[in-house]
Amino acid sequence: MLEYAWLIPVFPFVAFLLIALLPKRTLWWESGAVYAIAGTLCSLVLSMLVVWSVLNGETLTTDTPKFKWLEVGDFSLEFGVWIDQLTALMLVVVSIVGTLVVVYSGGYMREEGEGRRRYYAEITLFISVMFGLVISDNYLQMFIFWELVGLCSYLLIGFWYEKPSAASAAKRAFIVTRVGDIMFMAGIIILFKYVGSLDFETLFSESAAVAVPTDMMILATALIFGGAIGKSAQFPLHEWLPDAMEGPTTVSALIHAATMVKAGVYLVARSYPLLIHAPESLLFVAVIGGVTAILAATVALAANDIKRVLAYSTISQLGYMILGLGAGGYLVIYANSPGGYAAATFHLMNHAFFKALLFLCAGSVIHAIGTNDMRLMGGLGKKMKITSLTMLIGALAISGIPPFSGFWSKDEVLAAVWHAGEFDSVFFLLWLMGIVTAFMTAFYMFRMWFMTFAGEPRSEYHAHESPRIMTVPLMILAGLAMTSGFVLFIGDGFKGFMESSIEGLLHGAEHESLVDIAAEIFTDPLTYVSLTLAVVGIMLARKIYLTPGFDRSMFSRGFNGKLQRALENRWYISKFYDDFAVKVVYGLSLIADKFDRYVIDGLVNGFAFLGGNTGNFIRRLQDGNVQRYASLILVGICLLLILVLYILPWGG
Amino acid sequence: MIPIEYWLIFSSLLFVIGAYGVVSRKNAIVVLMCIEIMLNAANINLVMFSSYHSVLHTVPDATGQVFALFSIAIAAAEVAVGLAIILSVYRRYQTIDVDKINILRW
Repeated sequence: MLEYAWLIPVFPFVAFLLIALLPKRTLWWESGAVYAIAGTLCSLVLSMLVVWSVLNGETLTTDTPKFKWLEVGDFSLEFGVWIDQLTALMLVVVSIVGTLVVVYSGGYMREEGEGRRRYYAEITLFISVMFGLVISDNYLQMFIFWELVGLCSYLLIGFWYEKPSAASAAKRAFIVTRVGDIMFMAGIIILFKYVGSLDFETLFSESAAVAVPTDMMILATALIFGGAIGKSAQFPLHEWLPDAMEGPTTVSALIHAATMVKAGVYLVARSYPLLIHAPESLLFVAVIGGVTAILAATVALAANDIKRVLAYSTISQLGYMILGLGAGGYLVIYANSPGGYAAATFHLMNHAFFKALLFLCAGSVIHAIGTNDMRLMGGLGKKMKITSLTMLIGALAISGIPPFSGFWSKDEVLAAVWHAGEFDSVFFLLWLMGIVTAFMTAFYMFRMWFMTFAGEPRSEYHAHESPRIMTVPLMILAGLAMTSGFVLFIGDGFKGFMESSIEGLLHGAEHESLVDIAAEIFTDPLTYVSLTLAVVGIMLARKIYLTPGFDRSMFSRGFNGKLQRALENRWYISKFYDDFAVKVVYGLSLIADKFDRYVIDGLVNGFAFLGGNTGNFIRRLQDGNVQRYASLILVGICLLLILVLYILPWGG
Repeated sequence: MIPIEYWLIFSSLLFVIGAYGVVSRKNAIVVLMCIEIMLNAANINLVMFSSYHSVLHTVPDATGQVFALFSIAIAAAEVAVGLAIILSVYRRYQTIDVDKINILRW
């Protein structure tokens, strides 16, 4: 089965070509949605077959099938397919969320007219290259697809390109992630310099790890993580993601919550065989993750735009995953345990489902009343029963309330961070940040839910439940958000499944039984700490946002007011970047402008002036007097003859 | 036989006289005539080398002489064209002084 895995990205790509190139009249329903749905469905089926093979123990990590693309010297660039448990996990996420989002778009994008064709073409292209990214078997191929998903993200954020804010958000997303991409490329170049190959198979072997000096390994892995900082919107390059909410909500759900931003997490997880040779990088990864988690969560507390709350929540949860991977690396090195790695990837999958759900619910709300501002909502629960209920499930899942999926993975991540504390006490601090983040997550999620669906309407609107084509994907995702946590206990257990993808790094880890895992979760007092905090968060949100006549003015006075303004201004990070761009970059540009104007232009104009004047002088020789030409030719020939016959033979 | 140097000196003189005329005379027809003299200098060389070649190698070889004939024919054609140009130049400028016909410049 696995040898057909290369077909997975091909189906959506064919759909992309059909939608982009067919004449308008053959696009049928919704300007090409049929092709998009068909393409993603084919990939979904094939992905599931591949995942089934992987579940049965097949993988494709040695002698991967390759297609030679080009040859430079003795290096040949090949496209290959690499299938292991991590790839399978990403295939599950991308194919399921991708298909559901495309179906949902059939209802959500109905009013876009001509733009729909562009939308479906771009989104199928995105799904195609995202599949390409996760099945890559070398870093260069991965980098190519990495850039392509960035391009699709740019195109889709700027879907309403005639709106200046959308156009600039698209540019910002592209440029900011480029910063990370360049670091990623630099990391790849370092690895290539020492190992001479970019194939995972070669790079992840022991001999490759020995070939790279320790300090270079730290630099290379930190730079590769730099790519993840950009793509997964980690501090300090996280500000593009909230701006990316300018795109359609379906795009936010698919690209900026479930798949593309997970590419960074995937990259870190994929690079584990390299990262465990550089514990310093792992610590860096964990610290960035922890800081991002808490920083983004605080901003989400004060956001009033429903999509921005979700965007900051996404950044925060991505921080969780990165933190979990950082801690997981320590566990692999010092405790021979795949705990953190499995927890982070588990959270990746669960988060993809419930965050896509939350975004699509938000899309349903926006579709119904036409605004993003939660201050204008309220009381929607009565009119939009399915949306409010599915969103409640999503909110419970992300808050970490059992038995919803978020509980299991978040708990596992926090447990892994706590355990890593035994090897470096920084992790205790990070655990504390994580637990505070968990509390804030519960609070802002229910603040959002209460402000949107509960209470009384705060503005005039005529809401209605969304059509079936939108609510069915919501229900499917809600079902996944409820149940995807239980894969922890199915078959070998999720931990056992993920463990096999990094088997080579573990030296005889004992295999925990599923009962042990369950017992560990429920006997660990830390579980109850995070659970209590989540419940307190929800109660607090209920108290503040649901009590009629609750005086919220205390939040806008004195120190609280300052804090709130700081949060509303996103800790002034965005402002800092803008100021930086205006003062420093613009100043440098002015200098460059002067240099260009006077030095470069001066040189160019100088040459032109010189050439012109020389020509002006020399043309006087051509005075039209034929006899002068003839005499010059004669004299010239005589001189040449003298030269050839008398002077040159002397020298020789 | 007349020694080869005599021939060479003769044809060189002829060539230089022609060249001097081309460079210094004002009348376009005289210039054309001087070009003819230069051409004939070359023809003399062709015939002379051809006959020396036949004698020294004792083979009848007339290639050079045929070349001279060709050259004369082409010179005749050239004179026809040259005179036609001079004629039309005269019609337009009322002069055939080559110093005055200098509009092809700069």
